[in-house]
Amino acid sequence: MNNQRFRVNTPTVTHETIDGEAVIINLDSGNYYSLIEVGSFIWGLVEKGSSASEVQNLVLQTYQGDANEVDRCVQELLAQLQQEGLIVPVDGEGALNLVQLNQVLPSNNNHEKPSFNPPLLNKYSDMQELLLLDPIHDVDEAGWPKPNQDPQK
Amino acid sequence: MPTSQVVPSDITGKEQASRSVEYFQSLYELFKSSQQVTGPIERSYIIGGYLIRLSFAGEALLSLTRALEHLSTNDCSTPDLRICLSDSESTGQSMIPRPWEDGDFLARGVIQGYNTERIYTAFQHGSAAVSVLDKERNLAVFWAPDPRLPYWEEGSPLRTILYWWLLSQELQLVHAAAVGNSTGGVLIGGKGGSGKSTTALACLESNLSYVGDDYTLLGLDPGPVVHSLYNSAKLNNDHAQRFPALLPKIANTDRLTEEKALLFVNEHYPAKVATRLPIQAILLPRVTGLVETRLKRVSVAMALASLAPSTIFQLPRAGNEAFKFLATFARQLPCFSLELGTDLSTIPSVIEGLLAQIDSDSLPQEK
Repeated sequence: MNNQRFRVNTPTVTHETIDGEAVIINLDSGNYYSLIEVGSFIWGLVEKGSSASEVQNLVLQTYQGDANEVDRCVQELLAQLQQEGLIVPVDGEGALNLVQLNQVLPSNNNHEKPSFNPPLLNKYSDMQELLLLDPIHDVDEAGWPKPNQDPQK
Repeated sequence: MPTSQVVPSDITGKEQASRSVEYFQSLYELFKSSQQVTGPIERSYIIGGYLIRLSFAGEALLSLTRALEHLSTNDCSTPDLRICLSDSESTGQSMIPRPWEDGDFLARGVIQGYNTERIYTAFQHGSAAVSVLDKERNLAVFWAPDPRLPYWEEGSPLRTILYWWLLSQELQLVHAAAVGNSTGGVLIGGKGGSGKSTTALACLESNLSYVGDDYTLLGLDPGPVVHSLYNSAKLNNDHAQRFPALLPKIANTDRLTEEKALLFVNEHYPAKVATRLPIQAILLPRVTGLVETRLKRVSVAMALASLAPSTIFQLPRAGNEAFKFLATFARQLPCFSLELGTDLSTIPSVIEGLLAQIDSDSLPQEK
């Protein structure tokens, strides 16, 4: 598990990170997510090709925290991201994209490390109803579903 | 494919391309034969700066033009996009049998196997209308079985076709309202029921202009701008009661038990409708129960999370491209939570105050 790398589950998943906050959308399920602080940092590392153990090391280098807690939180978040279909394991060794990684890592390490707070994946499911397939109950002679007059929007 | 909703089918891309074009052509031929019987009726509109012509087979679907009337033009030159509209009942022309299976109706109305880089096909279950666009020919067909369309179709007509085609012109349809004045405008985002319409309609009696209250068009060149798309306002019946001056102007008073209140702003406040404004800020309305309305700065990511899902999940084939567009748009703007007060008269003054402040701060916006 620790050497396992992942990739973002494109094209099912689209995402943007703005000012340290990641917004992630699963286009198939209708769920969307946000990650801030440590969570957004981890998302950026995973997206750039870091393995689970590399994520743990980089989080410990960047944040002030207990190694065991960091290890547990990273594993839990990675499992959650997989469970939600946001990332998928990459076969083989893969490689960390060092150039892109520098975009994620803090540029100035002279400051005191911020405290590690367990990452939280915020999940929103309020758009799912828009993706529910309309059941086809009644069709005309040419096979066209008849109008469904349920009010919407 | 631009969205994961279009899943690979078991036929080759070439076959899919070929049968999609054939399907479009069959539908277009059916429209032309209908129009030969009914006679042509045409209406032209400038939408997002593009000349778009609606060609009708008969008068039955002319009710769809009310929401676009503020954008009408007499320009008779070759249009950038032509949309052909017809219905089965008034023309007596049956729809051609559908060439796909029940399982090919995907979420958001996308039809599997009939969506390619060139041809876009979707079915709207509420109206049972089919929308098909041939991007290569800048030609689309909208066909409904019955011309008596649901109120939402009259309020935001041809939304799917317009979204598909305008995206090629780098204009993004967004589920958001917009109001403003000579210094610029604010985009008001959020899912249904968040207060977009309430905010936009509360501004009708103020100095602010109305661009739209549900769906608008966004552009990025030369800076963040909003274009008006529909002049129709939709309100839950209980919200409509909060605007006593608007009640006599509601278009569907006889159907309010089953439909939202529909108001065509251009028919009653034509001078208030603005067709284009540079955008200075994004507001996310939130009902608070407090009397006064106030603003609270929020992150750009929060604005994106409010704007993008409620836009993308309403539009067939929308996905990564729409999300990236909205992210680029939002990154350029300050974002605020608009905490709506119960005194609706305070809403426009708060927005005007924000626009004045941004203008005096000379934030880097388009002028």
